[in-house]
Amino acid sequence: MPRISMWKEGTHSNDFKFFDRNIKEQFTVGGTGIHVHKYLGILNQGTSTDLSQPQAAEDDPLAIQDFLFLENRDRKYDQDVYNIRGLYNVADTDFDLSQFGLFLQNDTLFITFHLADMASILGRSLMSGDVLELPHLKDYNSLDTSLEVALKRYYVVQEGTRPTEGYSPTWWPHLWRVKCTPLVDSQEYQDILNKIQIDENTGESTGSTLRDLLSTYSKELEITKKVVEQAEVEVPKSGYDTSKFYVVPADSTGKPMDPLGYTADDSNQTSDSTLITADSTRISPENSNAYSGYLVGDGLAPNGEAVSMGTSFPTDAVEGDYVLRMDFLPNRLFRFSGTRFVKVEDNVRSNPTPGKSTSLSSGFINNTATTTQDDNTVISQRQALSKALEIQEDE
Amino acid sequence: MPQQFFYDNQIRRFLLQFIRAFSNFQVEFGKDREGNTTLQTVPVKYGDATRLVSSLLRDNSENKIVPTPMISCYINALEYTADRRQDPTFVDKRHIRMRKFDQDSGEYTTQQGNAFTVERLMPVPYNLTLNVDIWTSNTTQKLQLLEQILVLFNPSLEIQSTDNYLDWGSLSYIELTGTTWSSRAVPVGADEQIDISTLIFNVPIWISPPSKVKKLGVVNKIIASIFDESGDLADGVIDQDILMGTRMKFAPMNYGILLLGNTLTILEIQESVTNKVEPTSIENDPPVKIGVDDITWRAVINQYGELQAGISQIRLDFGAGEIVGTVAHHPSDDTKLLFTVDGDTIPTNDLPPVLKVINPLKVGPDAGLPTSATGQRYLILKGIGDSSNTDGPDAWKDTAGNDFTASPNDIIQYDGIRWNVAFDSSTDSGIHYATNTNTGIQYKWTGETWVKSYEGEYKAGDWQLVI
Repeated sequence: MPRISMWKEGTHSNDFKFFDRNIKEQFTVGGTGIHVHKYLGILNQGTSTDLSQPQAAEDDPLAIQDFLFLENRDRKYDQDVYNIRGLYNVADTDFDLSQFGLFLQNDTLFITFHLADMASILGRSLMSGDVLELPHLKDYNSLDTSLEVALKRYYVVQEGTRPTEGYSPTWWPHLWRVKCTPLVDSQEYQDILNKIQIDENTGESTGSTLRDLLSTYSKELEITKKVVEQAEVEVPKSGYDTSKFYVVPADSTGKPMDPLGYTADDSNQTSDSTLITADSTRISPENSNAYSGYLVGDGLAPNGEAVSMGTSFPTDAVEGDYVLRMDFLPNRLFRFSGTRFVKVEDNVRSNPTPGKSTSLSSGFINNTATTTQDDNTVISQRQALSKALEIQEDE
Repeated sequence: MPQQFFYDNQIRRFLLQFIRAFSNFQVEFGKDREGNTTLQTVPVKYGDATRLVSSLLRDNSENKIVPTPMISCYINALEYTADRRQDPTFVDKRHIRMRKFDQDSGEYTTQQGNAFTVERLMPVPYNLTLNVDIWTSNTTQKLQLLEQILVLFNPSLEIQSTDNYLDWGSLSYIELTGTTWSSRAVPVGADEQIDISTLIFNVPIWISPPSKVKKLGVVNKIIASIFDESGDLADGVIDQDILMGTRMKFAPMNYGILLLGNTLTILEIQESVTNKVEPTSIENDPPVKIGVDDITWRAVINQYGELQAGISQIRLDFGAGEIVGTVAHHPSDDTKLLFTVDGDTIPTNDLPPVLKVINPLKVGPDAGLPTSATGQRYLILKGIGDSSNTDGPDAWKDTAGNDFTASPNDIIQYDGIRWNVAFDSSTDSGIHYATNTNTGIQYKWTGETWVKSYEGEYKAGDWQLVI
């Protein structure tokens, strides 16, 4: 009579199968359905000249996107959703504000799956990067009543291991335990988040992606927009606004000039006014630097006098005319003294919001200009220093 | 009484601008299924949110997910900076003229509006330490963001809390003083998806008390020296009458003015008037300005503000006091200003008024003048009769036919029987005032001659403009 032994030298015995079927049944009876978004590999990033970031094979879960940072950023997920049963202990969770600006949950789930069942459905074990959807945690009571569908709950598998409680007397494991944390709206999961959602009740498209429904991104962007809008109201341009100040007209000797000149546009003057003569003209102040200081040049003439803009001086200018030369960088304002155009100021004020500035550094960063070469080929003027003048792909 | 409340959002405005400086950055995602890359704008927000608002952002649902990358900014410290402290009692004044604001169009016009003097008390220096958390889900994102941000600080980035020209504490800069590369431990743990890199910035700021905004003042007298040669406080500081030596008087542009009737004309420093000896003498022709360069009042007044017709004043220092009158622009001559004297400020008559100023050689009772009646008074420019005459002028004889004699500049009065000398100019050398009721002009007896009491030329320093 052979000796009793549950261990059968590397083979899955009938004892193992007996245990396994019973354990699987426990998952069927008491487990919750879990949808699995299976990680397939890296989205095709095209050919690469960077040897540390080579083009990976399609649907290769073993592929590594970045051999320097050892990260797979642009992940590809199976379009099919797999449904398997899992068990976990429901725990209370708290929101954490201790990290400034983050409002995270501290819930980390440990979900247990039936190993053989999981392998037969998925074709492999659950792994880091797989995304789990827990249908029983759907939220039907969101504050945003405009949402057409219930908010689903997603977790990301951080790691998968064989749990100690998953071993039967045969010494073979029957379970797979994964550690999960809540999904975040990040680059890694765009393949899932950008999918248009279907209304489960009507079966019709909601027109919204999963990201639109779940992520707070649009609200965060709205917050930024409101703050920046107010900041731009308070400081529309760098420097100081002196345009609403009045400059007392005076000539070069300091003698006051009559502030009332008259033009045909003065609607408050009548034909019988004796103030106006044929040679009455608007007199612009000569002492235009009355409000001097750091970054006050805005290219505007003092007292709101008219300014003509151009890339050359007008030939018919009369004394007091202002001209803004657009071919100067920064644009330069001149006043015609009767004999010459005298520099008044440079337009040095600009919007300090990144992307809207006309500063020197912004001229290098926000540059869409092109350069036409001798052979009439056109290249982008803005080039990274490490790539400048190197042969590049045709655009 | 409690201290008056004031709050000008000074730190809040710096925070707005600080967050603005980190807005509009993007990260690039790799190619999606269609082969398209995505540039995603990175949200920036203030980090110290309340639980309520944080819950609202998540629609009060556990199932909402937070986006990455994201930037959050928050105050780490606010400390007084003693090494930037300056004279705490220093008050700076700025004189500002505004362009006139057109309420209808909602725009500033080309004309002058209100003018102000703004007094600013020295603000208090503080150093604001701000942290910027950059949340990313992978290292490439972090490097993309940092590369774009770090080039801005060479050595620092200027920010302003306002573009108000008068806010001298509005300009500051953001200086990068430190970084914390990652919130994670190395090697990376198993359950962290969001990495946080922290940049630490120093922003030196000034916190200002409210300013004083006053109507623009016009300097009309400047005390050049408040100490005399012995080092004592000069009498001129406290004694208004001592004007020479320790005090100097200034008037707009060093101009003089000429008051004739109710009009004022500007006299440049090199200009003068005719009849210099006594231009307003009752016997002389009205004085006339000598000079060809007509300066408009509008140009002069514009140096100081806007003239309020009927409210703005010209004050004339005529030695014995000050004549005050309101002014308005002349409707057809910009070189003249209409002057309406305040009757309470003209000198008090100490002689009864006269009916007319007459030349008795040309007119007399019943000959250009009414029949003599009790109480009639005339100021005569020429003498009447002479003690050596045997038969004087009939018009001035009394009812008994007796002759009447009087000297030039005398005031004569009829008592019902005869004319008498009521004011004897040959014996009275004091200052007297009398008004001609016919013209309303007040005359002044200088001891030698009658002159208009306050009309005439006022040199620079003898008149003031009050807007």
